[in-house]
Amino acid sequence: MSANSASISASSAGPKKSLKTFGDDIWKNKTAKINAELFTLTYGSIVSQLCTDFERDFKKVNSQLYAMGYNIGVRLIEDFLARTALPRCDSLAQTSEVISKCAFKIFLNVTPQVGNWSNNKDAFSLFLDENPLSDFVELPMDAAKELWYSNILCGVLRGALEMVQMDCDVWFVNDVLRGGQSTEMRVKLNRIMKDEIPAGED
Amino acid sequence: MAIQTILVINKSGGLVYQRDFIKTGAKLSSNEYLILAGTLQGVVAIASQVTPKALQISAKTGSKTANEPSQLIPYVGSLGAPAQNLSDMGSFMGQDFFNESFPSWNQSGLKHVTTDQLSMFLYQTLTGLKFVAISTQSTTNAMAVSIAENLLRKAYCLYADYVMKNPFHDPEMPIKCELFDTHLAELVGQL
Repeated sequence: MSANSASISASSAGPKKSLKTFGDDIWKNKTAKINAELFTLTYGSIVSQLCTDFERDFKKVNSQLYAMGYNIGVRLIEDFLARTALPRCDSLAQTSEVISKCAFKIFLNVTPQVGNWSNNKDAFSLFLDENPLSDFVELPMDAAKELWYSNILCGVLRGALEMVQMDCDVWFVNDVLRGGQSTEMRVKLNRIMKDEIPAGED
Repeated sequence: MAIQTILVINKSGGLVYQRDFIKTGAKLSSNEYLILAGTLQGVVAIASQVTPKALQISAKTGSKTANEPSQLIPYVGSLGAPAQNLSDMGSFMGQDFFNESFPSWNQSGLKHVTTDQLSMFLYQTLTGLKFVAISTQSTTNAMAVSIAENLLRKAYCLYADYVMKNPFHDPEMPIKCELFDTHLAELVGQL
């Protein structure tokens, strides 16, 4: 699979370049950066403020984070496309590579592992070995069962994929903050919105 | 190449941005621009239908077997004078916004219209947004087309920075962002 997607990306990302070096290069040379701690602490204060505002109803906090992420995603996709100019993906396998090696790399400087494919190849998991959102975080007892601390990421992915005409569900399956083995996000493709693909693409 | 007008058309065919860079000459009314935007949206769709089926199929099977570098738009280095001030680039770092050839997202739609008086260039993004540049020169030169595509991709970069990241801009609505105005004017001015 990886060899396959590398050859496809070579045609898109300029000659003789894998998606990984392509993403690394953009992150390293062409993207403005901010202090990671500032980012982590800002996100942390948002989540904790939401917990207070919703009176520790963590289901509501999760959905609020998701909604905020969605609004970020529908805008952020334009930045991603302007930066990378990658062509449309032929398969979900390729999409998963682009998400992990380009999108996560460029915006968060991490490369989640892709795995856990469903049998009919319409769903996969992203394993975040490191999560810049939750660097200093310990969940309080009452939140550890219900709160998906980094749920904003699900919303971002959902919003961004929707803008490139892929209707997906994205949710957290596991989080090390809640005592899990790994931080795992699940992405499931419901359908490709063929009617909304802009005219002119083949 | 003198750019007369730049338009941005949203994915449903509505005109969300229009700006003239040359003050003289005949002007369209805002209503006429709206009609132009809607018409372009339709014509792009028609053009993609007009492409002969045989060509579409051969292009599809061709791209599966061999990589087609011919579809890449060559990178044209910093258009005109290089950007002196890097802070003008927004979040896009480096010498220029990008420095590689890039594939076109618009392969069978309308890209380029020429009359004796003017040329019009279209750049369509994966999300369905269209950037249109109208030039006062009539040209069918391939170089001019790729310069225009480079220019419009840079306009897209500015759009990503100054429009999409403006929290008070509503997606799909007309663009009223002063920062976008000034940076776009600078970009066109460099040409």
